[in-house]
Amino acid sequence: MHKKNTISNNQIKNLLITSVIGVGILSLPSNMASILDNDGWLAILVGGLLIVPLIFMVDRLFKMFPNKDIFQIGEEVLGRILFTILLIVIIIYTILTLAYAIRVFGEVIKGYLLDRTPIKVIIITMLLAACYLARAEIEVLGRMATMVYPILIGLIIFLVLLSIAEGDFTNILPVFNADFTLLPKGILISLFSYAGYEIILLAYTTSDNKKDALKYTLRGLFIVIGIYVITFFSTLSQLGVNQLKRRIWPTIAIANEVDLPGYFIENLDGIVLTLWVLIVYTTLGPILYTGGRALAYIFNTRSHDIFILPLIPLIYIVSIIPDNIISVYENMGIILGYMVIISAMAIPILIYLVALIKKRRRKA
Amino acid sequence: MKRFFFIIFLLPLLVGCWDKVEIEQRLFVTAIGIDLNHEKGEEKDKLTVTYQYPNISAIGKNAESGTSTFLLTANSSSVFQAGRQFMSRVPFPFHYKHLKVIILGEDILKEESLMRVVLDELNRDTKINKRVRILATDRTAKEILEAILGKEQRTEGTIYATVRDNTKTSSFTSKSLADLITDFDISGVTLVPKVSLDEEKNFVISGGAILKDYKFLDWLDANENKIINLINGNMVVDTIDVIYEGNLISYAITETTTNRNIKFNETITANIDITIEGYLQGYILDDKNTVSDNETVLSMEKTLEEEIMKVTRRTLGHLKDVKADLLGIGEHLSKFHPREWEKIEDQWDEVFADAKININVDVKMSRTGLTR
Repeated sequence: MHKKNTISNNQIKNLLITSVIGVGILSLPSNMASILDNDGWLAILVGGLLIVPLIFMVDRLFKMFPNKDIFQIGEEVLGRILFTILLIVIIIYTILTLAYAIRVFGEVIKGYLLDRTPIKVIIITMLLAACYLARAEIEVLGRMATMVYPILIGLIIFLVLLSIAEGDFTNILPVFNADFTLLPKGILISLFSYAGYEIILLAYTTSDNKKDALKYTLRGLFIVIGIYVITFFSTLSQLGVNQLKRRIWPTIAIANEVDLPGYFIENLDGIVLTLWVLIVYTTLGPILYTGGRALAYIFNTRSHDIFILPLIPLIYIVSIIPDNIISVYENMGIILGYMVIISAMAIPILIYLVALIKKRRRKA
Repeated sequence: MKRFFFIIFLLPLLVGCWDKVEIEQRLFVTAIGIDLNHEKGEEKDKLTVTYQYPNISAIGKNAESGTSTFLLTANSSSVFQAGRQFMSRVPFPFHYKHLKVIILGEDILKEESLMRVVLDELNRDTKINKRVRILATDRTAKEILEAILGKEQRTEGTIYATVRDNTKTSSFTSKSLADLITDFDISGVTLVPKVSLDEEKNFVISGGAILKDYKFLDWLDANENKIINLINGNMVVDTIDVIYEGNLISYAITETTTNRNIKFNETITANIDITIEGYLQGYILDDKNTVSDNETVLSMEKTLEEEIMKVTRRTLGHLKDVKADLLGIGEHLSKFHPREWEKIEDQWDEVFADAKININVDVKMSRTGLTR
């Protein structure tokens, strides 16, 4: 069997999009509206634009160390001990994110579709399925992402069509009327929705055309920002700002409450959620894969797949700690908000800065 | 050996339908009536809840005879609690996904806290479609549902078929649960269609109930409701009757456009221009041509405008009396003049009662039908 260890830039783009978009898309419009009312889209936009310099930085980092992957670079720059400590932080973050995502996933599926299935069964089956994906190599993740990408885009187009047909676009008004001292808080929360972009740290070096990788990655990021902003506007136009704040998952609500002329379509939550399961699947897989790769580095093994299965019980236990859905969003969400900033943003920046300083010193 | 394990692992795939529920073994609740409980009983049981569900086996090609719908009533603390109480009386579980109509009795409309409880319960539930239509009645909801019993021809319910859209008449304004809550959020006032019974115990939907802050305020008649639909641009097709030179004219509306222009001075001035286009539906058959020249058309248009203005003035007076902004003026202000709106938001009731609302109606009779 021929095994190729590179993926195309298009797959990197799709991998970025499908890893970032996951459970957050259901609650993001409501969270943003609670903080910034009608101007929540502004926080989504600014939060996304803050990721742009990070992507440039990742690109520069890999150009500085050609033909090395992130683990080799980290070890060379920070030394094995410090880098291992940072990786442990990243593994904890991975476990927490997965626990959060799988719990929200379980709650949504239980609430809307499988009301008599115990949430444990939903969580464990989904984790095992994600485990199968995460045990594979990066090119399999890339292929999976390319398969799910059209479904995601189709879903978004569908939501837009619904809001054109049903929504009242004057609900978007008034613009720029919110209390802008709350904008930093909004941005902080919206950053959490961009967690998962760090998959490019692993995917970037496997690109078969490294020259264009930056272009594709940025394109992917802009598609993500676009999808989030569109989702915000379609939920806002359909529900109005007060109802949007009240709902936990407004994005499903607009699919559920379609009332087009002609009797045959209504209660579309089943269809939308079925497609959403795939989107969550391609979020869980890459994050789990990241955790496995980090563990493989720490224990110095050649393959990462042996670490995936042992992570599952840990994730499951963390996911059932919160007592209820409010606690999932409040407590876990806040902890994760900080964890994202540390592990997905601060650590790559640290590696880059130290590498830059070392390189300058060597030149001098 | 490998093949053996493969087959063993395939076995779980065969049991996909092990807990399936056949469609006849579900009771699809199509309408729920909610009234205040006047009988003495447990303190918590403040509601009288009536469920209506179709008899699935009496519908379709191989229909068995029997009544087409069933009704169940119980005194209960909440809408879903009633469903659980019914479980001892019905063979199968209820399904709420196809609930289409909720009828609120007059008594419950007057209890603000109970209204909030009931609406929250409906809004919070994951199964109920938030597009369920809400109706108010000046009788009890139970009476209305009993009146339809046995006359039902459709699975989803005759009442729902009547109110599901506004394309047939504008003498009432169809209102879904989601719209109702949005209205309360934005302006605190909403209009819900009124369903009543005539002498022969047939249901009639016309006019509406004004609700303000989750509480009943006043009834509106069908003509007032038409004007409100007209001002809000919801009027689709309707006819207006007016006496012109001793004979009745029927004027059918085909299209309306509304323009609002709201100004801030010391008081609020709202200019609303309404253009109505339509055709002559009926006048009188005479030996001569009755509508032969443009002047007749123009004077007919004028008579119609006067008639519409007369009802409009009455409706506006009524709305100002009860301080109910059903014209969406507050909503318009909050969207297009957010800064000024913040200042007057708290005393909006008084501001609305003092506001100057100028309505201009321009009737165009573009066609006169097949005859002159």
